[in-house]
Amino acid sequence: MSEDKLEVKQGTLALMILRTLEVLGPLHGYGVARRIEETSRNRIALNYGTLYPALVKLEQEGSIEAEWRQSENNRRAKYYSLTDSGRQELARETREWNQTADLIAAFLAPRPEPS
Amino acid sequence: MKRIRAALARLQTVLGGHRPDNDLREELEAHLEMETAEYIRRGMAPEAARRKALLASGGLTTAVEAVRDQRGLPWLESLATDIRYAVRALRRSPAFTSIVVLTLALGIGANTAIFSVVRGVLLKPLPHRDGDRLLYFRQSMDGPGGSSITFSVPEVRDFRNGVPALSGIAEYSPFSFTLQGDEDAVRINTGLVTGNYFEVMGLAPIIGRVTTSGDDGTGVPPVMVLTHEFWTRKFGSDSGIVGQQVRLDGSSVTVIGVLQPAPFFPDRVDALLNMVISSHHTSAQMIEGRAHRMTEVVARLAPGATLKQAVAEVQATYSRMQNEHTDVYNAASHYRVAVLPFQEALGEGAHMTLWLLMAAAAFVMIISAANVANLTMMRGVRREHELVVRAALGAGVARLRRLLLAENLLLTLAGSTLGLGIAFGGVRLLVLFAERYSTRAGEIGIDRTVLGFTFGIALLLALILSYVASLPREGTFAAWMAAGVRRISGSLRKQRVQRSLVVAQIAVSVVLLAAAGLLTRTMIQLADVSTGLRDEEVLTMQIPMLELKSVFDPAWQSATRARYEQMRNEISALPGVVEVGIGSTMPLRSTDMHFDMKTEGKALAVGQTAPRPELRTANPEYFRAAGIPLLSGREFATTDIVGAGRVVILNKLLAEKLFGDEDPLGRRVALTGDVLQFTPFSGEWRTIVGVVGNTQDGGLDAQPRLAAFMPFAQEPPFFGGMVIRADSNVAKLSAAATRIVRRIAPTAPIEDVLTVAQIKDQSVAPRRLNAALISAFSILAVIIAAIGIAGVLAFSVSTRTNEIGIRMSLGADRGEVQRMILREGGVLLVAGLLLGVVGAYFAARVIQGLLFGVAPHDPITLAGVAGIMTVVGLGACWIPALRASRIDPAVTLRK
Repeated sequence: MSEDKLEVKQGTLALMILRTLEVLGPLHGYGVARRIEETSRNRIALNYGTLYPALVKLEQEGSIEAEWRQSENNRRAKYYSLTDSGRQELARETREWNQTADLIAAFLAPRPEPS
Repeated sequence: MKRIRAALARLQTVLGGHRPDNDLREELEAHLEMETAEYIRRGMAPEAARRKALLASGGLTTAVEAVRDQRGLPWLESLATDIRYAVRALRRSPAFTSIVVLTLALGIGANTAIFSVVRGVLLKPLPHRDGDRLLYFRQSMDGPGGSSITFSVPEVRDFRNGVPALSGIAEYSPFSFTLQGDEDAVRINTGLVTGNYFEVMGLAPIIGRVTTSGDDGTGVPPVMVLTHEFWTRKFGSDSGIVGQQVRLDGSSVTVIGVLQPAPFFPDRVDALLNMVISSHHTSAQMIEGRAHRMTEVVARLAPGATLKQAVAEVQATYSRMQNEHTDVYNAASHYRVAVLPFQEALGEGAHMTLWLLMAAAAFVMIISAANVANLTMMRGVRREHELVVRAALGAGVARLRRLLLAENLLLTLAGSTLGLGIAFGGVRLLVLFAERYSTRAGEIGIDRTVLGFTFGIALLLALILSYVASLPREGTFAAWMAAGVRRISGSLRKQRVQRSLVVAQIAVSVVLLAAAGLLTRTMIQLADVSTGLRDEEVLTMQIPMLELKSVFDPAWQSATRARYEQMRNEISALPGVVEVGIGSTMPLRSTDMHFDMKTEGKALAVGQTAPRPELRTANPEYFRAAGIPLLSGREFATTDIVGAGRVVILNKLLAEKLFGDEDPLGRRVALTGDVLQFTPFSGEWRTIVGVVGNTQDGGLDAQPRLAAFMPFAQEPPFFGGMVIRADSNVAKLSAAATRIVRRIAPTAPIEDVLTVAQIKDQSVAPRRLNAALISAFSILAVIIAAIGIAGVLAFSVSTRTNEIGIRMSLGADRGEVQRMILREGGVLLVAGLLLGVVGAYFAARVIQGLLFGVAPHDPITLAGVAGIMTVVGLGACWIPALRASRIDPAVTLRK
């Protein structure tokens, strides 16, 4: 693609969705997509075929739950919100992600000059 | 946890049949609208905004599909769809479907039935505890009756002391009794066993107890453990029998328990008793006589010991025994001992026949699978257009393969279900068949393993069939579509596979036909074997009145003889009866009463063993009644009685063996050997007064046996039976004769009421069944192979319609076209025949042991088989050839 967009990996997408819901509270699919695209400074483009299966999966796993509500511009939309077990899941995954990131960062750190 | 929850949610979606697609579409629509609204807010035209939003969405339908896959179990749902498709497709070609299902059912049915027998008789683990550690001992020597001479107690004792690799050795002495009931009496086969027998065999009682070492020796009451089979048959599974007294040969015996179901060897057994019932078995003669062999031996491997160790130790002990007792083990007789796993011993008699049948069934399976493969391939070719269209509509190659698999699975499952039905019917027949070969016939049944075998075959076949159909590589469909291709095959490679399958079918059919032919010829040869009897209008019945306690008592002996005499007189008076004889053993029956025989004035040469003829008694009328020809001398006379000079009649074989060309009449012979002293028979010299012809006492297919006859009135009536000759239709006398016997001896068992014709029939029955089964399989094979040839040629004709049309329009006449197609089939036929004859040559050598009077490479049989196959094969080629010659070039070329 010309704009050099990134592919999202399944695991990381789940983490992004959970974090988005934690920060913004209950949100519909469009809201989640916008937020993720904005946060990534538009480096990520989510099509429906990626986003919605991920939402269904999180719902099946019990991390989020969904309900139909009126949106801000008076439209019916499906709102997703974090459950308790979702919150725990997010905490756990965040911790793991940070550890992994530290580890990778340590590995990729510039080599110190031999003294 | 998280995964389980997700899996459950998915399963629920599938099972619930709840399709929240509308919900999802609304959600996606909402998303789209919000995004469109956002673009409009940023200043785009509504149309353009909507288009941009749609573009970013990546396609609503794709998204719905993706969510659906995530939500449910896509493979399960598509499997259901595949099966629905498959059912529809198969229903559209009912002819194909029914031929395939029927062919498979026959093949699978035959295999399931035979496999259930093989499993029950040969493969199934023994019901005995650690049955794989049970061993059976066999002692044998050269000469007739020497294949299993059992063991003596001193021999067993030596093994007990010399073989640490065995944790226990038990004795089992076959013995038959008359079990007297209130109204009837039956002969029962029992084993007299040592107290450790059940421990060694690993058998437990289901009711009561079994014997222990406390029941050994003398001074204990006789007790009896019933086998499960006898308990069910005789006592109707009444548990009240345990603790009761029954009468065996006049002695009172307590039933102490019922054994778990288990097979016995070498014979079926009704009950097991401790030794005390037979004073003989506890006598010094039995216990100290090294040559007094009456005992079968079973043993159990000690923990940690191997069969190899045990065999080595047994052989070492046995050589030591032979060195220490050279008088008992005549070196010229080659005494030897074999130790084999009990399970192997049990399967011995059935082994050859069953594997032969299994091989035949497997051949039928191969042929029918080949046929189905051919049919499937042809159908596959006709369906290529359909597959191309399906591919064009978005089905991937994997999906198409799955579709084929679903179809083939349906076919093979239907085939195996129908086959199971056939097998259930067949198994009942096969149990009767197997009873002749093995005591394990009762264990035959269609159990879980057999079902697994059947459906395993179905699955395997479905897989093979789905992968012989070659699907084009991914991505090539489009090219064909573009080229407007309707058909992409007719490829030489595929036809080559089909042709090889047909050649294989013909070859396998020829092998089966040859085996069937040889076995049938064996039957014909056997029918021509002379029994040695003059004329066969003869009825025989065995009436054993032996009582173990009384056999040495002269008063009992004369009273019993008088009763047999009375039966003879009354039966003689029946209308139509020509002659009635009395004898211990019926003509064409063998007895295990053998004794060594010596000749007066003739010493055995060094290394020569004494002949061991069967001992039989006969009254003066016996030979005439049976139709045994008197070759020289005289028959017995009414004066040959106790107190008169002892006389004997030899059969021809024995006379020749003892005297060669010399005249045996007037010479004297005597019974001899260590065993004689334990019997009521005298070792005095007996004068030979006659020689009679040989009869086929061991069966029509056996060598004649040595036999010596002694006057019925001069010997103890240890056994007895009537030989009744009538002027016609002797079988109808059996009811009247049985009534007379029953009245005179109300408590005696009446056994084997059989005409000579029936005895002959029984002796060939197993072979006839063999021949019939293999013939049935081979006919099946030939039919299936004929369908195969016709099918492949018909297919070839249909792919060559155009070519044939061109040939005909260029001047080829119908005859030429026919010849062309016939030639095509003929090549396959000749190749198959050649391969088959070579295969038959080797197969026949394997089954040589089952043949009689016919060489394994019998040229008449092989020529006949080749002839039959050629006729059938050409017949099968003819139909497609005829169809080819009817092709109308005008019609064909216009298409």
